[in-house]
Amino acid sequence: MIALRWGRQRRDLPLRQSASARWLPWVLALMVYLAGLGGVGLTLLHDTLRAARGSLAASLTLLVPAEASPARLETVLAVLRQTRGIVSARLLPPAEVARLLEPWLGSSVVLAELPVPRLIDIRVEPDGGTDFAVLRQHLASVVPGAHLEDYQPWLAGMRAAARRVDGVLVAAIVVALLLMAVSAGFAARFDLVAQRSVIELLLLLGADDGDIAHPLAMRSLRLGLWGGALGAAGVLLTTIALGDAGSLIRSPAPPAAIGIADWRLWAILVGAVVAAGLIAMASARATVLRRLARMV
Amino acid sequence: MVELEQIGKRFADGAQILSEVSLRLEPGGFYFLTGASGTGKTTLLQIICLAQPPSHGRLTLFGTDTAGLDRPARAALRRRMGIVFQDFRLIDEMSAGDNVALPLRVTGATPRQIRDNVPELLAWVGLAERGEAPAATLSGGERQRLAIARAVVRRPELLLADEPAGNVDDDVALGLMRVFERINQLGTTVLIATHDLAFARRFGHQHFHLDRRELLDAGGAPVP
Repeated sequence: MIALRWGRQRRDLPLRQSASARWLPWVLALMVYLAGLGGVGLTLLHDTLRAARGSLAASLTLLVPAEASPARLETVLAVLRQTRGIVSARLLPPAEVARLLEPWLGSSVVLAELPVPRLIDIRVEPDGGTDFAVLRQHLASVVPGAHLEDYQPWLAGMRAAARRVDGVLVAAIVVALLLMAVSAGFAARFDLVAQRSVIELLLLLGADDGDIAHPLAMRSLRLGLWGGALGAAGVLLTTIALGDAGSLIRSPAPPAAIGIADWRLWAILVGAVVAAGLIAMASARATVLRRLARMV
Repeated sequence: MVELEQIGKRFADGAQILSEVSLRLEPGGFYFLTGASGTGKTTLLQIICLAQPPSHGRLTLFGTDTAGLDRPARAALRRRMGIVFQDFRLIDEMSAGDNVALPLRVTGATPRQIRDNVPELLAWVGLAERGEAPAATLSGGERQRLAIARAVVRRPELLLADEPAGNVDDDVALGLMRVFERINQLGTTVLIATHDLAFARRFGHQHFHLDRRELLDAGGAPVP
């Protein structure tokens, strides 16, 4: 016999591209697009929650009836400043209140003519141990009708909603990844059927299953990376197009945004492309090896 | 080299193709396997080259019992054989040279090893000038010789040929036989399946005869 190299050098076997090469990148591109948008959505959601927690959890507003006298306002401020966990209490000047209400009332309204409550902005230490129930009772005894408005219920609701959205986005990403694997596996089966006679010949000539699976898996890796790049480009364009959409939402929390300068966006894009390539490769290889085991 | 013991083959539809076939091929031997169409010659060759499992019986190749072998081990055994298929199984869109190089590529031969061996083999079977021609453009006789060149390019220990002279005229058939005998002289064990008993008898080599699914030797007695 001819002396041959028996190392694990991959064999250059004549396995052609089949029709799956035409549609697989586009299917993978769509899946990467969906998974990438899911990843961006998750990032934005977590950013929004974090920002809301940071800015709102330490903030409260006390609404004092408009008819409260200046002396009672001073008493209220003193009570607040002496309360454990409260860092500051500031009576908002009428001009600032007018600015806050301008979106709803317009600029032509004279606030002094309306029974607008006086607003006190309160800053609390996070986990400062403030007993809000006691504080509410205390304030009500000083100024009946005073209303302490905190954002905790709003935050709690937002957290609950975020958990559900989070679950949906994670499920969408997982489904997209699974569909990538299924698509690549289906394409590999298509390749095997299209080249069955050549593959049987190669097996009869002594080719190892791995030698046949390798070129098909490498081809799936290339198609996966190509499709992934297309999908990632779509995610990038969509993210740019929706860049400042968060500012359109009127929310007590600052809007979250992810821009092209954000490294996390690029991590998502690169991760999605690499995942598409690796999933396509692994799925194709597993499918080919499983199918070859049933052949000669 | 090759030993079959009580080999039988029954297909899924219940058709019994082979029954209790036993034979032994010695290293360096030259054998014919004869029998009318449908007696199981091709099936027997497919069992020997591990393309089909026997329904029962034991097959030993190169001293290895093939029962229960994993796929890498089966592939390793196949690499020690050369096969001339009845339908040639050439890849039509590839050149003659690339078809011959295929078994070398399967075993990871270097480009240099391929360059050193393929032209020599093509010349050996009289296709030196046709190396670049797509296999699809070759005549029937040329395709037959190309299939033989591909089967022997690795200098196999065992060469199986299924009706290699089935579709060619007598002169070409004699030429092919000379090629097989030269391969045999280099140490390769040769087993040729043919339906033409008279053709097999012309060369004086030992032959096995399949009749009604059972194996008889040239004298008509079952092979022990």
